[in-house]
Amino acid sequence: METSDSEYFESADEDFQSDDEDTKTVSSVTKTEEKPNTKCVNDAIKKLEHVQLEDTQEKNSLNNNKKNDKGKTNKEIEDNINSNEITEDLAQIQATKGPGSKLNKVEASHPTSVKKRSKETDVPKKLGAKLSCKDSVAKPPQESPECVKNVDQKQPKESPECVKSADQKQPKSETSNIEENLWDESEIDWGKENEDDLWGNDDDWEPVNEPTVPPQREKIEPAQVKVPSSSSWGSWGTWDVSSIISTATQSVSTLTQGISTVLETGIGVPDPEELAKINQAEKEKLKEIVPDEDTDNSGFGLGNLVMGVSQLTKLVETTGTKVISGGLDTLETIGKKTMEVLQEGDPGLKKKRAFLKIDQDKPVLSQLLREAKEKAEEENKILEEKHFAKKAKNYETLFDDHQGLVHLEALEMLSKQCDIKLQTLLESYTDEALTEMQETMDQVKELCELPDEEEDEHANWTEIKEKLESAVSEISIPISYKKFVETWEETEAWLNNLKLEICDARELHQQAVETLAQLTAIAVEQFHKAGELLLVKEHRSTADEADSLVQLTTTLTSLIGVVAAKFSDKLNTKSSSSKNKEEINSLITNVFFEAANSSSYIQDAFQLLIPVLQVGAV
Amino acid sequence: MSAGPYNYSYIFKYIIIGDMGVGKSCLLHQFTEKKFMADCPHTIGVEFGTRIIEVSGQKIKLQIWDTAGQESWLTDTRNLTNPSTVIFLIGNKCDLEGQRDVTYEEASKFAEENGLMFVEASAKTGDNVEEAFLETAKKIYQSIQDGRLDLNAAESGVQHKPSQPGRNNLSNDQQANKDNCAC
Repeated sequence: METSDSEYFESADEDFQSDDEDTKTVSSVTKTEEKPNTKCVNDAIKKLEHVQLEDTQEKNSLNNNKKNDKGKTNKEIEDNINSNEITEDLAQIQATKGPGSKLNKVEASHPTSVKKRSKETDVPKKLGAKLSCKDSVAKPPQESPECVKNVDQKQPKESPECVKSADQKQPKSETSNIEENLWDESEIDWGKENEDDLWGNDDDWEPVNEPTVPPQREKIEPAQVKVPSSSSWGSWGTWDVSSIISTATQSVSTLTQGISTVLETGIGVPDPEELAKINQAEKEKLKEIVPDEDTDNSGFGLGNLVMGVSQLTKLVETTGTKVISGGLDTLETIGKKTMEVLQEGDPGLKKKRAFLKIDQDKPVLSQLLREAKEKAEEENKILEEKHFAKKAKNYETLFDDHQGLVHLEALEMLSKQCDIKLQTLLESYTDEALTEMQETMDQVKELCELPDEEEDEHANWTEIKEKLESAVSEISIPISYKKFVETWEETEAWLNNLKLEICDARELHQQAVETLAQLTAIAVEQFHKAGELLLVKEHRSTADEADSLVQLTTTLTSLIGVVAAKFSDKLNTKSSSSKNKEEINSLITNVFFEAANSSSYIQDAFQLLIPVLQVGAV
Repeated sequence: MSAGPYNYSYIFKYIIIGDMGVGKSCLLHQFTEKKFMADCPHTIGVEFGTRIIEVSGQKIKLQIWDTAGQESWLTDTRNLTNPSTVIFLIGNKCDLEGQRDVTYEEASKFAEENGLMFVEASAKTGDNVEEAFLETAKKIYQSIQDGRLDLNAAESGVQHKPSQPGRNNLSNDQQANKDNCAC
């Protein structure tokens, strides 16, 4: 046991010799974890520097030993992979230095800091896991006493800072006996706690742990380790779209860097023979992995990520087949890591998808109508100036006159508020509750699907009235369609008393548009009121509400159809006795056009109510 | 600026806020219809009123949002208004002098401290109602002339377009005063 800790540094040397970059990576991570410690660590490094010089010669001899140990090392990886070596190291130091010493304090704080971070996010846990994994990988068999001496002196030189910090005192103190005792105790203390956490989430990492390609694996890990240090995963709770994308890009780019350093520094390290064997298999793997990532990522618009991945692929390809397997391993890890991070606390990415969907720029209906109105008014003005005659108002203006626009705007606000409410709720849920809520929301949406338009041209007024009444009574909120009914009855009376001979076709058309605009405005107003009332209603019964609203919507749109038909009938009669049939025909077309518009506005207004219903359902 | 019923140079948006029952809807009704609504129903969500007025020879359409006396509106307006928003404090129901809850001095001091315009009005008699709305419009118009309100920043341009030169809260912003001058 006493040899073990020193020995694994020896085998770590194997990498660090050829791989300064890796050491840096690891040390940068370490720094983030133990900033306050760096000073004393640096001191220790200085002290140890002259030892390094002496040891350079011994290195060569060590390499031989390493080769011998390789086979065993692989085994050891599996054995040790579950233990948190960092904490072990720390424990050792603690033991060596004795309580109360400065170094000891420093080291003791280390594991706690790791633990703290683990609470914030899973990634640091993984970080811890990776670090430990690295160490374990590097750990040679315990029964190679030959190397012990050399290693003891060598450690400081090639081991990364984190390792250094853990071991500074070792080479000089040579108190391995004392170490052993205390070390066991502390191992129990810390090792257990971290172990479970760390590996509970890490099932996905299995391929990394395959003992077949040990040298590459060691290269990969620094790249992974970089991820958490370069981007603040901890802030995922409050992420927004841009941050998710930028973080993703960021991490991809860091990963890319990681890879390139891996590739550069990794050349020559892996055993070419081994690589050649693996190459073929890995290549195929790549083919599988890369397209996978593409589809996954583009699915929710992370174009950057996809670009990053293709960049990676390119990079890997151009660096040549020899190194490919190292890159491939990394790539696979990156892919998994990416998905893992993206899916963290968000199974199936539903939350993120939902979020992104909301942020899409969907046109705001009231805004569109407003713009249309302005445009038409301007045109009208020009026309008016040319020929004084035309005073007709367009549909949008009339719609606004009857407060349709503002009610639509208010309804949109209401809808948005509900949407925000739902989103906040969604974000607060995890796993089962989340899926459940999403299911409920989908169900409500399904309930609100409007039936395909039945060509219900023959629906007469009494039928419509009945339908309206039953729909309103079902929803059990005091909304009234009295105004709607009154408006239509007035219009009907006007039509019935109409003397076609006197009435001008334009006048008739204007009346048609006005009626349509007015009815639509009333419908929108009632939807707005319904939304407000539903929100304060005490006992929500979503199914009934949805039913009732669907019925209302269909009835209203069919009424719009009836209105349009009546007016066009009149216009048709007019047309048959008129000279300029073309003009009247275009007016008829316009009436139907505006009627179609009215129907779609009503349906859109109804769609705005869906979030209101959803709020009631969840 | 030519003839035609829908020619106005500006649209001003007003929001009337205040606690329940202080008479927001009645003020609006008095202003748009010049009538007192005796048994005014509860406002659901928002109601709207429009009237076209003239300030300095410019036709201005007032689009007035009459809110339900909900808490959210009060907090919203406190948080969301920008400094150039004109806020007018109306003490309503000044016809019911005997049941006064807030003294004139107290209210005008409050208005002064908060940089609000202030008037006591009555939706029932119509006293000062017109004035309150018109003064607000004048103040906004003045802000536009002074360049304090950037019309383009808020929304679209000025002429014949629904610009949004400031939300004007004719606010009954303080404690509820059911019967007397709401503050």
